[in-house]
Amino acid sequence: MGLIELLHMSVFSQSFSPCGKFLAAGNNYGEIALFSLSAALGPDANELSQKPILAFAAHDGPVFSLLSTDAHLLSAGNGEISAWSWAELIKKNVKAAWTRRPNYKSSLEIPEINAMAINPADNSLAVGGGDNNVHIMDLENGVFKSVLQGHTDYIHCLSVRERAAEVLSGGEDGAVRIWDTRTSQCVHCVEVYKYETCARPQHGRWISCLTTDSDWMLCGGGPSLSLWHLRSMSPTSVFPLSGCQRQATFYQDMILTVGEGQCVSHCQMGGEVKAQIPCTPHSINTLAINTNSTEHRVLTVGGSSDHIDVFTNLSYRAFSLRF
Amino acid sequence: MSSEALKKRKGKVIRTEGGTPEVKRGRGEGDPQELELERRDPEQDYQQYKQTCESLTTLMGEIQELKAGGAKEGSTDLEKRRLQSCIHIMNLKKLNRLAHIRLKKGRDQTHDAKQKVDVLHLQLQNLLYEVMHLQKEISKCLEFKSKHEEIDLVSEAEFYKEAPEEISRPLLTKEGPHQLTLARLDWELEQRKRLAEKYRESQTMKEKIQKSIEVKKEHLSSLQPGLNAIMQASLPVQQYLSMPFEQTQKQTEVARHLPPALYVLFVQAKAYGHACDKSLSVSISGDVDEAKALSKPPEDSQDDESDSDAEEEQEKTKRRRPTTGCQLDDKRREMLKRHPLSLCLDLKCKDGSVLHLYFYHLINLNILTVKTKVSPGTDLSTAVSAGELLNSETLLNCLYSNDQGQETPNPANRYQFDKVGIVTFADYVKELGHPYVWVQDLGGLHFPGEAPQGVRVGSALSASHMEATMKLLRGRVQSRLALHKQFTSLEHSIVPISSESQHLFPAKVISRLARWTTIAHQDYMDLAFTRHVSSAGLAKETDLFFMAVVERGTARLQAAVVLNPRYPEVSPLFSLSLSWKGEHSGSTDDNLRAMESEVNVFKSELQGPRPGHQLLTNQLARLCVCLDVYLETDGDDNSVEGPREFPREKMCLRTVRGPNRLKPFKYNHPQGFFSHR
Repeated sequence: MGLIELLHMSVFSQSFSPCGKFLAAGNNYGEIALFSLSAALGPDANELSQKPILAFAAHDGPVFSLLSTDAHLLSAGNGEISAWSWAELIKKNVKAAWTRRPNYKSSLEIPEINAMAINPADNSLAVGGGDNNVHIMDLENGVFKSVLQGHTDYIHCLSVRERAAEVLSGGEDGAVRIWDTRTSQCVHCVEVYKYETCARPQHGRWISCLTTDSDWMLCGGGPSLSLWHLRSMSPTSVFPLSGCQRQATFYQDMILTVGEGQCVSHCQMGGEVKAQIPCTPHSINTLAINTNSTEHRVLTVGGSSDHIDVFTNLSYRAFSLRF
Repeated sequence: MSSEALKKRKGKVIRTEGGTPEVKRGRGEGDPQELELERRDPEQDYQQYKQTCESLTTLMGEIQELKAGGAKEGSTDLEKRRLQSCIHIMNLKKLNRLAHIRLKKGRDQTHDAKQKVDVLHLQLQNLLYEVMHLQKEISKCLEFKSKHEEIDLVSEAEFYKEAPEEISRPLLTKEGPHQLTLARLDWELEQRKRLAEKYRESQTMKEKIQKSIEVKKEHLSSLQPGLNAIMQASLPVQQYLSMPFEQTQKQTEVARHLPPALYVLFVQAKAYGHACDKSLSVSISGDVDEAKALSKPPEDSQDDESDSDAEEEQEKTKRRRPTTGCQLDDKRREMLKRHPLSLCLDLKCKDGSVLHLYFYHLINLNILTVKTKVSPGTDLSTAVSAGELLNSETLLNCLYSNDQGQETPNPANRYQFDKVGIVTFADYVKELGHPYVWVQDLGGLHFPGEAPQGVRVGSALSASHMEATMKLLRGRVQSRLALHKQFTSLEHSIVPISSESQHLFPAKVISRLARWTTIAHQDYMDLAFTRHVSSAGLAKETDLFFMAVVERGTARLQAAVVLNPRYPEVSPLFSLSLSWKGEHSGSTDDNLRAMESEVNVFKSELQGPRPGHQLLTNQLARLCVCLDVYLETDGDDNSVEGPREFPREKMCLRTVRGPNRLKPFKYNHPQGFFSHR
């Protein structure tokens, strides 16, 4: 890969291996790179251990979403989902275990897949993207068993509430829809941009990040990032962050969020921004915390750069992995 | 009382018994005793002694018993026993004496034996000494070095094969190595004698031949004037028939005075021109006489110079100290001296433009330098931004990557420079020409560099580089001339698009190129939105830098362009900054970043017909299209307040896509719609 390609690279997705020793990252050229965290964090780490141990072309389009199951790495490309066995990838064997395409209505352009989420309750995979619908695939047999229709523009993000058997989706149309997985019906539709406290008409109305934790939901995008109480369906706190947020996550008693802007923001539930930690990419697409392994517990952040920043401590950037 | 006395006597007797040896020793010896001694057995004597002692003890015991029993002194029993005791004592005495005699005899015998051993030992010592001496002599003999060992003799097998019978005498020599060596030495002598004879013969032969050569030479030199006259007479005929024999002959005559590197270049360029490239012409210019003078006595003159230099230096330092600087200047000039002859290569392109290359040889540095000039075939209108394009200083920069021709490729020059205080060769490049590595290669000069490779020198090296370099040179000139033409129209705000590339762009493009200017390297580095390029090391001083401004309505897009000298092989690199509803740049706006990659990364579609001279203009055209898309798809459809500044005219399947909400910048040709990558 040439210098110019590296200069224009964006990292869109990351996923840690089940053992927690490896990080997979997908970029805008459809490549997936595998980094060894144990080598990069080891005592004799050098320049070379920050480079990928394996990089392969997985899809034609950008890899917008990566997800790990117990045995497989799921990657989403242009209208297709591929599974790669972790065990084989670690041995540097690149061969897709399977590839599935949701049933799209014929279209000039193949719709992209922006988000995937696993529902462990019935071992199914929710897939959302360019065709405005959420497709539910049974991971047992690879059959797409239902389609959740309702969004009027493409879907940015998905979240699964396992206990309530609900799937949440946020889209370009500015709505957060809550679906009952058993009936495949939309049970709620929250149009965040209509709430004055969150709305930012100068940016737009899309919802690009969505996370849930028991009764709480985080969502943001065009509107400000806000914390919602799901039972009362009302925003409890709004975070005063200037850029549009692309990914947010609950971590311990904090909220970590990234998006436009060269930093990872640490927020408190009450709505205060506690800290903004600078990092390499100018805008950040993805953030991930490795909870699979205690000795490699790191926060990794990727965005509009070929660097993936690694935080061994939440308060400063330790080093960068490079494509 | 009497018993006590007896006891005393008894004690005395016992004492005398114990003291017998001393008594015995005191006694002399007689012959009869010795005779008796020989007859007696010592073992028997010992037994006898034991018996006597035993019986004496029993007798004593009996006497004591008798006395205790009250026997009177002088009773028969008692007397009888006393008598017996006395006999026994006598007996003991005798035995004692015999023992003494035996001892003495033993001593005498030992002494005799010892004497004998001493004599023998002395004898042994003498013999050993003699042996040692002899051994020393032997080793001395063995170590003796004969003169003949230094003579390199023919091997034994060869000797037997070649030497005549009377010298080799195989019967004799096969047995004794000494005889063999002697024979071999004889043979050596014989052979040497023969060789000496041969040498003398050859000498006389040589003299004879030399004499005949002299004669022939005289004859030939007498022919010269006649030939000259013929040549002179034939000149008009040659001219009339336009056969440049004379000219090429003259050129080769002059070429003989070229320094080796230029000569290699001359021959190879000429050969390449003949074989592959008729448009390449080679000529030599400069002062031939000076070159002749230089090539005749090269060593002497150098010595003289250095001597006189040293003398001058001494005189100067004595007389006028302040002029050392001036003198250093002289030395520098001497160091950087060019050979009086130079080589001129003219490379003609199809469109009639000519690239002139002047090659010089720096005598003392032993490197080649080149100066260039382009004479365009057609009259070029003067475009301001194109000034740098055909600048002879930078025209051939980085013909091969990283070959900037600023520093001398000969590592030895570093030390020469230190001597005369030259900091860098770059200061003299303008005057002397560029010492590009490929120039050294063409001249067959090889200097060990950082990267080891198969080392070839001389003509082989030159030949291996000739074709590739000539092609590169031609490509460079053509690309520069093409750019020159394009710049002229760019400065008039027209982006020229050839018919081959028409399908890459929609028919209607509203954004227009407003300005095209050249900027300095430093200005480029100072721009905020090019920081990522410069920090990635993609903007070097040797590159050319331009600023393009594309405008549509109130929107104004600035594009800073890095043009590598190796364009179009290395594509130009754009960085964007848009001022519309605030300032945006590639680092703050993902869509601008996508536009950058649209022109920088997906450039292969824009290459146009080979060798891709239209790349830059196509990139600029695509930039205009992308700006149209950017402006027309901006903003949410429903939130329109009043008329939009940029009504949507481009056909798009979707206006945004993916997590970072990119706009559709990719144009699909026959259908005419825009889609995402």
